[in-house]
Amino acid sequence: MAADYQLVIIGAGLSGLAAGIRAARFGAKTLIVEQHHRAGGLNSWYTQAGRLLESGLHAMTNCVPPERKKAPLNLIFRQLNLSRREFLIQEQWTSEIVFPGASLAFANDPALLAAEVERQFPGSGPAFQSLREAMTAFDPYKPAPWQSARAFVLAHLREPLLADMLLLPLMLYGNAEEHDMALSAFVILFRAVFEEGLFRPAGGIRGLLDLLLRQYANFGGEIRFQADVEALLTKGDRVTGLRLADGTAISAEAVISTAGLPETMRLTAGAPLQWPQTACACCGAMSFTETISVLPESARESVRQDRTMIFYHQGQRLRYQRPDALQDASWGIICFPEHFGDAQAAESEFSVRVSNPASFLLWQELRAQSAEAYRLAKQQCRTEAVAASEAYVGSYTGHTLHQDTFTPLTIARFTRKAGGAIYGSPVKVASGETPWTNLFLAGTDQGLVGIVGAMMSGISIVNQRLLR
Amino acid sequence: MNRDDIKDALLEIIGDIDEEADLDALDADKPLRDQLDLDSMDFLDIVMELRKRYKLQIPEDEYPELITLNSCIKYLEPKLREI
Repeated sequence: MAADYQLVIIGAGLSGLAAGIRAARFGAKTLIVEQHHRAGGLNSWYTQAGRLLESGLHAMTNCVPPERKKAPLNLIFRQLNLSRREFLIQEQWTSEIVFPGASLAFANDPALLAAEVERQFPGSGPAFQSLREAMTAFDPYKPAPWQSARAFVLAHLREPLLADMLLLPLMLYGNAEEHDMALSAFVILFRAVFEEGLFRPAGGIRGLLDLLLRQYANFGGEIRFQADVEALLTKGDRVTGLRLADGTAISAEAVISTAGLPETMRLTAGAPLQWPQTACACCGAMSFTETISVLPESARESVRQDRTMIFYHQGQRLRYQRPDALQDASWGIICFPEHFGDAQAAESEFSVRVSNPASFLLWQELRAQSAEAYRLAKQQCRTEAVAASEAYVGSYTGHTLHQDTFTPLTIARFTRKAGGAIYGSPVKVASGETPWTNLFLAGTDQGLVGIVGAMMSGISIVNQRLLR
Repeated sequence: MNRDDIKDALLEIIGDIDEEADLDALDADKPLRDQLDLDSMDFLDIVMELRKRYKLQIPEDEYPELITLNSCIKYLEPKLREI
């Protein structure tokens, strides 16, 4: 008996949608199952008090014009048979990395960062140049044992502060490990963030998601929302399908899970085959709280208007680790989502998003105590995050039209990322392989991060595993 | 399909895969990938489109036959004659 679908994809985030378009484009009968009522996963949107708010990444990386054909962004658009010319983007203005007593500005012209390095660390220009050349010579996609990005950067730059300053935004852009990051990830992100640059889709994340959903439907792909996968069904070394929480069984010739390594392990619990990884080693430590404040036009006078993102760190040395507290407001990201593209077109209201490292476990313990304790702690963290950001961008507390805060628990609930770890497991499976011959991983735990990385992951797993 | 039909079909496929492609400037005897500045992932799409449109299975070890526009036509001519 033929299976219901040739391919079933778990999760309608960016990697799942890209994988779905790829498979459906070439005629595979494809179904995406998504637990939420909306697509996007971590990178999505919601409405509150009549306003559209976004969750997830503050900006997309890999900003290049359509002519740069080999660049990842344009390759993705071709792979999904979408027009890059019709996809309008808004580039960042200028962003900044701020440590005590030192700052580095960067924009989508890499010359600015090079000049800033020389300004802040006189004499470091040639060392920075040699670092960039060493990265050009390094192939981050070639399978190789883990190598320390920190050691690599320090070998070129003898200024530890400069190394920390360069590491901060790249770690915040997608490092699942604490303390250090894989050199391959560093090289990919350096190119994506500092060499190519940051932008937003003109239609926001909703515009991008709608574009992908339309294309998927154009190719005949099917999607079920509020379809909560309860278990993967297996027989020997093959997956035969999956069972939803409402009892529905769906059979499939192949399954791609974008739910992350720990969650995919949970879905196969009880099956006789063993994963080579252990579940506890695969649960990422890095999670975040985020507070969005919507401000009126009048607040522009008191709030900094010349920056898109500020990556700040109050401590002298970078501590990229889970805090032993609900939230650590001493470092994080401040983002102005309206500070992209044409300044003249800026909307009257604008917003500030502050993201800080947080401990999933502590939030979980607190929530288990009482809903009231959780609510109060959220309030307290919001106040602290806003206060910390005001030191960098000016005061806005009194102006707020609307505020919302989410915690690691919110992330875990909506994205299924175990432990609210937005960058997934520190253990990555580049091949996408699992103990079952027709079950593959795509998305964050395949090792590519960010919106562009996620889409590339979905595309390449379908190309390598299904379109041959 | 005759040689001209196959050429038209290939150009249509390439145009669909790559909106930046300058089809008029293509040299039929030079490698397609170099001229179009394409990735191997794009190249796979030519194969996949041929499969989708003409139910044609091209084994991976025969991909080298598809290097130039003319070599593609030569390779496809006997396979698409009846279509």
